[in-house]
Amino acid sequence: MGSYIWKRVLTFIPILLIMSLVIFFIIQLPPGDYLTSYVAGLKAEGQIVDESEMDSLKERYGLDQPWFVQYFKWMWGILTRFDFGYSFDYEKPVWPVIAEVLPMTIVVSIATMLFNYLFGIPIGIYSAVHQYSVGDYCFTLVGFLGMAVPNFLFAILLMYGTYIWTGTAFIGLYSNEILLGLQQGTLQWYDLLLRGDFWGRMAIPIIVIGTSGTCGTLRSMRAQMLDELGRNYVLCARAKGVSERRIIYKYCLRAALNPTVSGLSGVLSHIFNGSTISAIVMNLQLVGPRLYSALKAQDMYLAGTILLVMGFLIVLGTLLSDIMLAWLDPRIRFSGRRAE
Amino acid sequence: MSNPDKKALRAAKKAEKARIKEEKYYLASQWQLMARKLGKHQLARLSLVILGFLYIVALFGDFLAPYNLTEYDANSKDLPPTAIHFMYEGEYIGPYVFKSEWGTLKMSVAEMSKAKKEAEARGETFSTRQIITDETTPLKLHWFVHGSSYKILGLFESDLHLFGIEGGKIFLFGSDNLGRDLFSRIILGSQVSLTIPFAGTLISFVLGLLIGSVSGYFGGTVDNVIQRIIEVLNSLPSLPLWMALSAAIPAGIPPVQMYLLITVILSLIGWTGLARVVRGKFMSLKNEDYVLAARLAGVSDMKIIMKHMVPGFMSYLIVSLTLGIPSMIIGETSMSFLGLGIQAPATSWGVLLKEAQNVTNIVSHPWCLIPLFFVVLTVLAFNFLGDGMRDAADPYK
Amino acid sequence: MSEKTEPIIRVNDLHVSIKMDEGTLTPVRGVSFEIKPGETLGLVGESGCGKSLTSKAILGINDKKCHSGGEILFQGDDGKVIDLLKLDPQGKPIRAIRGKQISMIFQEPMVAFSPMYTIGNQINECTRLHITKDKKESKAITLEMMKKVGIANAEKRYDQFPHEFSGGMLQRALIAMALVCKPRLLIADEPTTALDVTIQAQILELMQQLQKELGMAILFITHDLGTVAKMCDRVAVMYLGRIVETGTAREIYKNPQHPYTRGLMGSVHKIGSRKLDRLFSIEGTVPLALNLRPGCGFYDRCDVRVEGVCDKAEPETCCIEGTHCAACVHCRKGGAEK
Repeated sequence: MGSYIWKRVLTFIPILLIMSLVIFFIIQLPPGDYLTSYVAGLKAEGQIVDESEMDSLKERYGLDQPWFVQYFKWMWGILTRFDFGYSFDYEKPVWPVIAEVLPMTIVVSIATMLFNYLFGIPIGIYSAVHQYSVGDYCFTLVGFLGMAVPNFLFAILLMYGTYIWTGTAFIGLYSNEILLGLQQGTLQWYDLLLRGDFWGRMAIPIIVIGTSGTCGTLRSMRAQMLDELGRNYVLCARAKGVSERRIIYKYCLRAALNPTVSGLSGVLSHIFNGSTISAIVMNLQLVGPRLYSALKAQDMYLAGTILLVMGFLIVLGTLLSDIMLAWLDPRIRFSGRRAE
Repeated sequence: MSNPDKKALRAAKKAEKARIKEEKYYLASQWQLMARKLGKHQLARLSLVILGFLYIVALFGDFLAPYNLTEYDANSKDLPPTAIHFMYEGEYIGPYVFKSEWGTLKMSVAEMSKAKKEAEARGETFSTRQIITDETTPLKLHWFVHGSSYKILGLFESDLHLFGIEGGKIFLFGSDNLGRDLFSRIILGSQVSLTIPFAGTLISFVLGLLIGSVSGYFGGTVDNVIQRIIEVLNSLPSLPLWMALSAAIPAGIPPVQMYLLITVILSLIGWTGLARVVRGKFMSLKNEDYVLAARLAGVSDMKIIMKHMVPGFMSYLIVSLTLGIPSMIIGETSMSFLGLGIQAPATSWGVLLKEAQNVTNIVSHPWCLIPLFFVVLTVLAFNFLGDGMRDAADPYK
Repeated sequence: MSEKTEPIIRVNDLHVSIKMDEGTLTPVRGVSFEIKPGETLGLVGESGCGKSLTSKAILGINDKKCHSGGEILFQGDDGKVIDLLKLDPQGKPIRAIRGKQISMIFQEPMVAFSPMYTIGNQINECTRLHITKDKKESKAITLEMMKKVGIANAEKRYDQFPHEFSGGMLQRALIAMALVCKPRLLIADEPTTALDVTIQAQILELMQQLQKELGMAILFITHDLGTVAKMCDRVAVMYLGRIVETGTAREIYKNPQHPYTRGLMGSVHKIGSRKLDRLFSIEGTVPLALNLRPGCGFYDRCDVRVEGVCDKAEPETCCIEGTHCAACVHCRKGGAEK
């Protein structure tokens, strides 16, 4: 088991490296760079721009070099000095800009993931065990609807709903009181985790971001569970006199969890997608909107680093799911051992 | 012929018929069986009908929509859906509407202050600029009217529209903040929203099939490299990738090119899932005896892949393609919603939903959510269809 | 009557029907038989004739869609006779019987074990459910049974997973699982079909030996007449959901009455002869038990059918001598027609 984990960890290093290259290649694809679009903006406002100053700035940030040279410099900085580059838009190093919003993004992501599994798995099991019952039909309908409504539109519908019920529109992750505390430094992000009012406010983003993933988990859990319930070993266990409950929880669940667990990184990626666009719509102080504005402004190091962090987290999720799979399913554990 | 003879003959004929029927069942091709099972799946059948309807509407969109994308009317901003009446002064005169548009109320100062007070008592603000409906003259709905010109299926010039009224405008689904007809825009937008996923799926299909089969058939190093690439692509959240890629689309390119580029972007990210399915199937089929037999007989690799292996799991591919379409629809909608996809003057359902971006707008013009209904309907229909097809493709059900 | 001759299980007019969209399918239509302690009854027939459904109906583990009717009277170890069909299929009383008093060996050992747990765990589950909750004791009982069925190195095998076992070993493990609680009735559903011929012989011998030791009754389900001859005291031939012929193994082999039984025999004994060709060239296969016509189920495939008789009503069962009975119009004369 230990060597299996070690092996998986090693394969992730090349993946991360290739990923960083792909990311950098993609974000430098749009024509021009931050300075040219910045200058274009200034000119549009009628301001006079000193060309030679621009050229010197370009040289200073290395924007006049080919993209792969820029990439290697960026990577070198990250690997040697943990320096993720400079954000042109915020006029400070990238890392502090991200660090402001990263913890809360991770909190929201983990909370959403818990929401996903805590609802998706039990409901999926219920639906499979009570196939074609009224409850199953209801959950199936909800499941399909949840997958069909794009989650940013779901956000709007929920915001509309809360507006109608409470009379106030839901905007932002924090209440004014919390926001003030955060700005004055009397509150840290981890203080919020113990506050009930914070979680009350969090409910909407979590539901918005998590619903489609939950519905996906529900559907796949149901299908998988039905598959397992139809297997011969279930019949055999029944013939032994094992109770239905035990059959479901001891035998079927463990086998049926396989695709759900291996889909963990997909869920994480789904959450990042959902949180990016929903955060823009709902004005949440998460990484997503920063990525969006960084991409629009061609603030390449900021955008690249955010994408890299997201990718890293997803790869981490894959690693976790691989380890869990090996623990769940002895066949995987053994083929891993045999491969050496 | 005696009676029992006839009876026996009839019975024999009946048995023969039953046997032919049974034989047909056993000899039916995989596709015929799938189609038969699909026909029994109620929801899938309904979905197929709905999708067929939506695509036909999109195909003849220019004819069915009363207005084109550029027609607007400054006096018709944000109008609610036009009511259609049939009875006028107690008499049936066929479908008609009343002219309704923004105008200034003509009233005396005294009337105005009275109206103001009444409005304030109800907690509203009063403005003399209001939607004025002229209920004196019914405007009859005409069939096959001449309007803006377009090309039928991009070939023949025509200016015929299914319906329209003279002397006013009809907004079946209301109008937007520029005074454009939402009904027409939904129909014309469907031409983009319904075809992009199809084109995108087609490209991902080709990519996934090609790369997946190479990976699965050859295995070894080739497989390893391709699998790493897929893992990398899967490890990146797709939406930010779309954002990054569509930011690379230069501004101001013609709509057709933009359409193609967006399709390519969507499919560049969508192929990996399919490639995995194909690879998995190849891995399991590769060791089948009939593939080995073909190889021993000296059949070329390409021919083995195309003639012997691909048909073996085509039905699975079609199913996963159908199930992949909804995510493409949502992808396109999200991109356009954020302003990264289709740009004006072209439109799509995502573009139309931009109007629903803030709560106050929805509260005052709820009809701007109508495009959402069509997005959800289409996605649901594809999901149900895919689900039905998956059941139908499963030989054990 | 002495206890010895009292049957351990008596199945009376068992029906199993499945509701489908197209109508009701009745794969088992009025099956009756009984088995005495220590006796082996062979249930023979082609695939799809309802053998497996019959055996699963006894345990009440058929699919939810299946509905069983009739009577299955089982004499428990306390001497009381209960109708198994009247018990709630998920309830405690039947679960206490399953695995403890009636147990089953399944057709394919490779899929009868869950791949997620060790073999030991899965066999031991039986012991702990029915015999003792004590961990050490139950493990000892399990290990003893594993050794008894011929699993070498049982202590090590106990902690291995199904994918580390060979097919033959898995079948032994499956038999150990079925026998670990020393059941009064063992249902063996084609226990050797998925195995090599050499291993088949070993497994059959093992079963016979264990039967002698434990004195249990066996319901042996198979389509292989060779195995039947080796294993069974009495034989019941099933066709299309009905038992068409019963008798001792000797009676049936010596003097098959029903044309279907003769067909089965022909396909075993005279390989390559025209009779074999004819058996398989009879038009169609076993008809679907859906919307059946009146008359003999074998009518279409029968070479001695009597028009106007066989297609009118189901032939009545008549007994030739002692226990030898068949459901065919030709069997009256006390000997084979041809």
